Amino acid sequence: MTDATERHIKWSYMDHWRSNGPSGPVDQWHSHKTMSSFLKQIKATGFDAIDTFDFRIWQMYGDYGGPAKYQEMVQDHGLERIVNTFHAADYDLRNYAPHLPETHDFILEDFRVTMGRWSEIKLDNIIVMPATLAYDMEPVTDDKLKHTADCWNKVGEITAGFGVRLTCHHEFFCGIQTEQDIDTFYSYTDPEVVSLFVDTAQHCIAGLDPVALYNKHAHRVSGFHFKDTRNVAGPDDHHHRPDSEIMAPTTGKWFYEMGTPDGLVDFESMMTAVRDNGYRGWISVEHDKANKQGGDYSESTAISRWYAANVLERIYS
Amino acid sequence: MSGIRWSYAINQWKPQFDDFVRREQHERALKTISIAGFEGVELNAGTGRWEPLGNPQQLAANFGSTAGFLAFLEECALGAVSSWFWDPQERSMEHLTGPLNPLDPDDVAAMVGRADEYAAALAELGGSVLVVRPAPGAGDIDPLDDAAIATLATCWNAVGRATAARGVRTALHVDFLSALRRGDALAALLDRADRDVVGLAVDTAELVIAGIDPVAFIRQHTDRVWHVQLKDALAVDAAEEYLEPHAHWTVRVRGGAREVPRWFAEPGADGGLVDCAAVLRALVDVGYTGWVVVESDQSPHPAASALLAGYEVQQTLRPILERTP
Repeated sequence: MTDATERHIKWSYMDHWRSNGPSGPVDQWHSHKTMSSFLKQIKATGFDAIDTFDFRIWQMYGDYGGPAKYQEMVQDHGLERIVNTFHAADYDLRNYAPHLPETHDFILEDFRVTMGRWSEIKLDNIIVMPATLAYDMEPVTDDKLKHTADCWNKVGEITAGFGVRLTCHHEFFCGIQTEQDIDTFYSYTDPEVVSLFVDTAQHCIAGLDPVALYNKHAHRVSGFHFKDTRNVAGPDDHHHRPDSEIMAPTTGKWFYEMGTPDGLVDFESMMTAVRDNGYRGWISVEHDKANKQGGDYSESTAISRWYAANVLERIYS
Repeated sequence: MSGIRWSYAINQWKPQFDDFVRREQHERALKTISIAGFEGVELNAGTGRWEPLGNPQQLAANFGSTAGFLAFLEECALGAVSSWFWDPQERSMEHLTGPLNPLDPDDVAAMVGRADEYAAALAELGGSVLVVRPAPGAGDIDPLDDAAIATLATCWNAVGRATAARGVRTALHVDFLSALRRGDALAALLDRADRDVVGLAVDTAELVIAGIDPVAFIRQHTDRVWHVQLKDALAVDAAEEYLEPHAHWTVRVRGGAREVPRWFAEPGADGGLVDCAAVLRALVDVGYTGWVVVESDQSPHPAASALLAGYEVQQTLRPILERTP
């Protein structure tokens, strides 16, 4: 391990989490005690920082005194800071559909307000799913991709004004998830204000090779979710109404931690590509829904960080 | 520079006989221990085909050989089996024997043979301590008189000599149910035991539950402390329920009259009664060198317990050693 100041890569943990409390399963936001337990476990495994969700801002203000105060608690546990926030929206066709220009004003105002709320701390990225659910956008036309790109170019200018990069995370069930549509979307977006956030599992589930995708768009990439999957989506999985991520009939659990047996993502090739593309910065580790079907967040966190420390850091660190 | 090495006990992962049998479960547990910052693992003796890590015969059956298990450990980024806990009063299916009684001179030869097997494996696995349950529970036998103490000393001296020949120390683990807790039995046994081959395993939680201050205990037994199991305690046996017959089941397992749901926890747990930092400072003060095995026992969430213990070691306990010149 090189000295911290010389490291090319630091590791952040995307803060999906569940634990078992006396009243049943709880997340880390249940109490300051459960938050402390979560942060201790993240630190113990060697993560440097955390990512979080946008919708947690209410608990940060309500229970901690705001994002800066919450970040102080994160730092009190030996972690560096909050690196990225994930902006989860409902993508309702009535007011939040990037391919529908009539919804853009609402989306832009949402980001003006959102970025103001986060402005008291330094974030690297605000991560978005750049399209509605697939079944709400299909058929994906060139015009729809242009409208979508136009929306995010404007949002990117807003977030850049707050010193935060807008970056797009392509869920397998969203409207822009084929290689062709992703390529077209990035050809229409401004590299100065719109980036790509590579989620290894999501692209793999969508039938893409995440390493090849990354190599093609490396100059646009501002971060990663390193997580694994054991399943590629069938032809109708991403059309499943109302939800594909948890309710797809074919697959009860899409996501697994790095280092899982039978994982489909080739992380060694991915890390080699990260090295060869000269990427420096944060890699976020994620395993959302780790607790489904008997899984355990603490164990998944340990296994994924073990894999990073014992396999990936030997390739690039 | 401290000579303390950190290990984690695997026993918390196996609450029932049919749990934690499969290889992938062992792999995930060992990797969890490794990434939490521990160098070694302490195994728990067990018997039968659902105890793949329970004894050298099962290691061979499951990993080809002791060396095969060591390779598996190293693949999980752990360097050693620090120690093995062995209660001779548990039967052995591999040897077709029932409980071996350290108070029965006729059992000594078998115990020496069994201890030698564990010690040979430990030596190959990079370990250095066989942790033994030295006496039955207090409620299951008469108070230990001089003759009984002499018999125990004879037994453990023989065991200690056998393991020492393998480069492995024998450390007596006094649990809160032990007959050695009663009166001055422990002191009498230590007087009679050969200090060259028999030492003590300090289990901080067992002592606190027994009403004994582990810090004072360490300072009192400076040169006899050969092994440390660091875990927290969540209750004290103030009513001396350890004197009840079959206390293993009625007190340790059931929780006694109060039905204590959990006697033990990882260091730093809410409501914990052990001052782990003071224990570390005492170990430093007396010049202890060797393994500190962090335990939780009975954890409802083993991976979380290991990670929380790792945080406590990294952030609080190890820095105490690093401040030591």
